Amino acid sequence: MSTIQNQVRLPLSVAFDVVMQGLRIRLGRAIVTLMGVVLGIAFLMSILTGQTIRQGVSREADLRAEGKRMLSFLTAEVGPVERRTLGVVALGPLNEMEQRLVGELRSRKVARLRWTGPLPERAAGDFLQPVGDAAVGQGAAALLVMGDGTAPDAGWEARLAGAEQRVVATTRRLQSLSVLPGVVTVCLEREWQPDEVATRTAAAQRLRFRTGWIIVISLLVTVIGICNAMLMSVTERFREIGTMKCLGALSQFVREVFFIEACLMGFIGSFAGCLFGIVFAAAAYSVSFGVGLVLASLSPGALLLHSVLSLTAGVILAVVAAIYPASVASRMVPATALRSTI
Amino acid sequence: MPLDQHKLGALFPASGEAGRRCIIRAVDVRKTYRMGAVETHALRGATIDIYQGEYLSIMGPSGSGKSTLFNMIGGLAKPTSGKVYIDQVDIAHLDHNELAWLRCRKIGYVFQTYNLIQVMTCLENVMLPMSFAGLDSEEARDKAMYILKLVGLGHRPLHKPAELSGGQQQRCALARSLANSPDIILADEPTANLDMHTGEEMIELFAQLRDELGVTIISATHDLKMLKRSDRILWIEDGRIVRAAKPSDVDFGAGDFH
Repeated sequence: MSTIQNQVRLPLSVAFDVVMQGLRIRLGRAIVTLMGVVLGIAFLMSILTGQTIRQGVSREADLRAEGKRMLSFLTAEVGPVERRTLGVVALGPLNEMEQRLVGELRSRKVARLRWTGPLPERAAGDFLQPVGDAAVGQGAAALLVMGDGTAPDAGWEARLAGAEQRVVATTRRLQSLSVLPGVVTVCLEREWQPDEVATRTAAAQRLRFRTGWIIVISLLVTVIGICNAMLMSVTERFREIGTMKCLGALSQFVREVFFIEACLMGFIGSFAGCLFGIVFAAAAYSVSFGVGLVLASLSPGALLLHSVLSLTAGVILAVVAAIYPASVASRMVPATALRSTI
Repeated sequence: MPLDQHKLGALFPASGEAGRRCIIRAVDVRKTYRMGAVETHALRGATIDIYQGEYLSIMGPSGSGKSTLFNMIGGLAKPTSGKVYIDQVDIAHLDHNELAWLRCRKIGYVFQTYNLIQVMTCLENVMLPMSFAGLDSEEARDKAMYILKLVGLGHRPLHKPAELSGGQQQRCALARSLANSPDIILADEPTANLDMHTGEEMIELFAQLRDELGVTIISATHDLKMLKRSDRILWIEDGRIVRAAKPSDVDFGAGDFH
């Protein structure tokens, strides 16, 4: 009499083979399950991408609005700036807002800017006229001080020599220039009121909460959909499962088969869903904001992070959805599974 | 069809014991199904001894507990009470790992509806139980091809079940049941879906296996041709075994036969 041993645990490769063969014959059913994952992840990804695009776009809009506001502030001090000259003392590289201001000055048809200090990257022909430090104020309606650096304490008289009006406007808050005798100093930077800031952050938080809620609901629907599709698959394959158990498959093996299938679905579906989500969000926002602006707002870093997040979420969701169907399949008693009728 | 004795010796190691030994023993087996408040007594105390190398047929009307008894002695389900010994091991004491081993190595199954895996070819179907037994794929392929030739399917190993006739599918199923050189073959109405001629070929094959390889064959059947070739026939009715006889002692023409 031979002793009864324990059935050997099979390597995952056997389970994988069974899964691949099953998918080949049941391609239609597999695609339906896949669609569930694709749609859920595409939704998630399009919301995340949309947020990135909206942030980028609104930042751009904010910058331009700031530039306009600064200009109107300046105009209030020195009068209309069309066809006049302005002197610019650049203390260092310009930030984005200051760049927008320069662009705004140009579009408002300021005659020229007499520029001293480091030139910005996109120095536009004869609009920006590089001059020496002392000659910057010649014929200027006002002096603009901008850029990243410390303002010199002295030499202002020389700079203002020959200016139409003795006005010095700064784009940033600079302590040292607040007191100059006989000179009107103006700061163009806006002072953010505390309640303004609070309203902004509160509005952003509400938006995040709303979108978070929608995302959770849609992912829940995805999980339920996958679970349903897999349960149907288990019911359909009850005979096959019973046969395999008769041939000596362990319950663990049956569970592995279904989990591997779910992982595969999750991965492929998330991948496709990611791509669809990004393309859809970009296309939708391009309609309102234009392709150029949208593409400029898409930062590769954020996209990569969101993609990895969505991919992981998709695989995890698919595996979670498969837990119940896999346990139903593994608990099948071979005798029940082999009856001629269900 | 001629069988290569030498190769068969490698396939089916001799038991080494002379004389008949009891390979399956069921003692007062009872099975009750409970569905809500309703209790169904499928088996009410069945007792049989089945000997090695025997070709046994079990007969009974539907609802008589035939399938349930079959499942018990085939290790597919456990009895509610009573004992089933397969090769002198009480299956009630086996956990699911050990039962799986039993189904893999000791028992081969042949079903009325063939139950071949449709997505795999004939060869892969036969190789599947071998991979569950841990056989590596080269050896498995050779052994599978050999068994397929044995049952007369050597010329169609790469066809899927859908491309085979009923008789050929049943041959494939028989080949699969032989994959791990089992001691017992359990056949549930194997000829029910086959025409008369193919059925006869199948029965001939079973007899050959019994003669040449010493395999014990237990079948549940209504097929007269099968019954006539058996060593012993059991009648089961209402959950109990009511009669056991040799075919020579039975009058197959009698009106109350069934």
